Amino acid sequence: MISLRLAIESRDSSPLMRAVLSVLLALVAAGFLGSLAFALAGGEVSATWRALIKGALGSGYSLSEILLKAAPLTLTGLAVALCRHLNLWNIGAEGQFVFGALSACAVGLSMPPGWPAYLGLPLALAAAIAGGAAYSLGPALLKARLGVSEILSTLLLNYVALLFMEHLYFGPWRDPLGMGFPGTAELPQAVWLPALFGSRVHWGLPLALGLSGAVWLLLARTRWGFSARVLGLSPQAAAYAGFSSVSLTVTAMCLSGALAGLAGAGELLGVQHRLQDGLASGLGFTGIIVAFLARQNPLAVPLAALFLGGLLVGADQLQTELRLPGAVIATLQAALLFGFMLGEFLAGKRLRLKISASGNDHAS
Amino acid sequence: MSGPRPVAAADRMTPNHASPLLSCRGLTKRFGGGPLACDRVDLDLFAGRIHVLLGENGAGKSTLMSMLSGWVRPDAGTLFLDETPFFPRSPALAARKGIGMVHQRFSLIEALSGAENLALAAGRALSPRAASDLARRIGLPLDPRKRVAELSMGERQRLEILKLLSRDARILILDEPTSVLAPMEIGGLYDALRRLADQGRAVALITHKLSEIAEVADEVSVMRHGRMAARNLTRRGGASGEWDTAELLRHMAGREVPGVSAKRAGAPKTAPGEIVLRAHALCGPDGPAAGAGVNLEVARGEVLAIVGVAGNGQGALAAMLGGMARPARGELSVLGRRPDRELVAYVPEDRHGTATVASMTLSENMLLTAAGRRGAVFSRKAGARAAEQAIDSLRVAASGADCLARELSGGNLQKFILARELSKSAPLLVMEQPTQGLDALSVSEVHAAILRAARTAAVVLVTGDPAEALSLADRVAVIFKGRIVGMLGSDEPDALDRIGRLMAGLVPERHAGAGRAGKEG
Repeated sequence: MISLRLAIESRDSSPLMRAVLSVLLALVAAGFLGSLAFALAGGEVSATWRALIKGALGSGYSLSEILLKAAPLTLTGLAVALCRHLNLWNIGAEGQFVFGALSACAVGLSMPPGWPAYLGLPLALAAAIAGGAAYSLGPALLKARLGVSEILSTLLLNYVALLFMEHLYFGPWRDPLGMGFPGTAELPQAVWLPALFGSRVHWGLPLALGLSGAVWLLLARTRWGFSARVLGLSPQAAAYAGFSSVSLTVTAMCLSGALAGLAGAGELLGVQHRLQDGLASGLGFTGIIVAFLARQNPLAVPLAALFLGGLLVGADQLQTELRLPGAVIATLQAALLFGFMLGEFLAGKRLRLKISASGNDHAS
Repeated sequence: MSGPRPVAAADRMTPNHASPLLSCRGLTKRFGGGPLACDRVDLDLFAGRIHVLLGENGAGKSTLMSMLSGWVRPDAGTLFLDETPFFPRSPALAARKGIGMVHQRFSLIEALSGAENLALAAGRALSPRAASDLARRIGLPLDPRKRVAELSMGERQRLEILKLLSRDARILILDEPTSVLAPMEIGGLYDALRRLADQGRAVALITHKLSEIAEVADEVSVMRHGRMAARNLTRRGGASGEWDTAELLRHMAGREVPGVSAKRAGAPKTAPGEIVLRAHALCGPDGPAAGAGVNLEVARGEVLAIVGVAGNGQGALAAMLGGMARPARGELSVLGRRPDRELVAYVPEDRHGTATVASMTLSENMLLTAAGRRGAVFSRKAGARAAEQAIDSLRVAASGADCLARELSGGNLQKFILARELSKSAPLLVMEQPTQGLDALSVSEVHAAILRAARTAAVVLVTGDPAEALSLADRVAVIFKGRIVGMLGSDEPDALDRIGRLMAGLVPERHAGAGRAGKEG
């Protein structure tokens, strides 16, 4: 009797091959599952894809919107990617994003009128860095000292941050002249991130690009980065080499929080100019997908952020033009992540059809 | 399938007349590009007898038994079952032929009950009552309704044995069965194995614990470095006689150890210099089994070997001396300071996960403990240069400094680690099993390098091989259950024999006193 079976075997493939394969598979899976989601939501599949692409790339305005989204996504993507090099999961970029924005907002609101921008803006950005870092300090210490899973603590603290922000703009920080709308007063221009080329794109974008290079340098070229990578690859080897896992974990998580906090400040100081509903729209969570699509490589993070930014901008178009629910795009993002993980798995394997003649095992 | 034929007790005493149930000739296996794990090994297993396979870690015992039971395919050699040639292509086929093996790591499904695990193995439903009858008959009491997750390690082992019996196994192979048992459980296991043997089965046990064989073995074979050093030995003076422990130990350790002449000829004995390492009443962080009140002093220019059977606390002791683990109690100092990477060059036993990072290059691995560890910038150039030097100094077979650690064979990786640690010229060198798994040529190179280092540094060598200890060390400390139970000068008469007995815990020799033991030799 002849039996056929499909076997998954591991194989050695070059890192480049793996990267290309996994990203390709991610896109294919996203395309397939996305089409499914579009069809289920009642859209016509090819028309929906066309609308998505046209929405993203169709006009100069939409292109600048993509750049606008890419800046915070680069920063939250970097926040997640940095931690992944230490085998840590920072799922709390959303919360750190919020705390960065809150800290920058506090500086803006308490600033005496007439302060110059060269004092106000750096102060607000520094506050955002400190706020984001401080918000991840708790989970970092719990992880480093007591081994508490940073996945859970950072995830749950997101909701605390979101509720706290709502409390502030509904309560103590609410603009008395806001005619009842929830939100703070507009921040003084001294803390605004200046726009670039007369568009809505602001200085947050070059800042994010510069930081992606800086994070790469930090990981690849500094002693701290080397120790961090050793800890991520083998905690035993890090202990052997005498690297302190506590201090590495805490610094990495705080740096990560600072990056996400900067993203929050960028949205506040560059786009919204006031704390209000819609400031935190999931850019922290999307950072996880950005980091994965970039395969944790800081230099690839801006590219992945551009791609995800395009998806978000195109999705707005779907909602307004085709009246598809926004959840369709969340589904598409999820498909992208799953497809990527599948790609990572399959890129290291090969599928083989095995033909074996069974039944003569007793012969020998 | 017919059950095994009962064997009269008399049969056991006259092995030469019986024909072996399972035997192998010329079994050879090499994993990857490493040394031969098994090199033309012969063995006979007889019905009705308990066969103990002795050997150090890495001697090839598990590989040999895995080949007999179909888990590993031999590169060359023949197997005979009931004197007919036979090739166990898979564990399933071997099981159908009546050969079963209990591995060190059990293969049970924790969420299922004992009876369900048995049913899976037997390929037919087995009522809990039938299962518990089977268990009682063999003398391995077990409640088969309990889920595996609720069973102790000893009970899981019984369940593994029952699994083999439920498939009518005639040949039972157990890999280090006592390592998971509490001392009082061991007797029960041996009684059950004896009963199984008396019912006509062949039983094979793998162990590296010399002390354990005395009560249970009918026959002993000894492996060393992948070769069968001595095959099918029996007790002195018949079945009720004693084992010649010294002889077994010599087989385990081997007589020819490269490096002996290097020491005696090359380096005339110099007076030891200042005391580098001082340990006083040192206790490990994981309880008494990991070091209990250890006192040691080692001077510059001196080699101290710590010898013991694996699992007697030498690993924890080495980690403390190497500055990787903090002692729970006691004092430890290297030149008056706490040991760190600058003061101690440390070669841990685990090469792949601890001493190196598998997916990093040799340059990067060089920077783990040596070469340009100061400054904020990570100097890849310094790492590469140092790695090239390390590769040259011990002739590591690697394509270059950019080669990944995991691309090196075990022996070459070990040479690289040694070269890295030696390159630091630290005042204290702590090495754990430095030559395990190395081929003879590499062993002698490594030994020569250790002796060179000992001219300027204090050296602590942790090994399971008494012969290696005697050939390199000035003094030998024997560790047993976390304690130093004896300290010998390497030129004392019958040192090898005394070390063997101390390692086996057979002689409660004087406990090493604090300062005294440190200063003699």
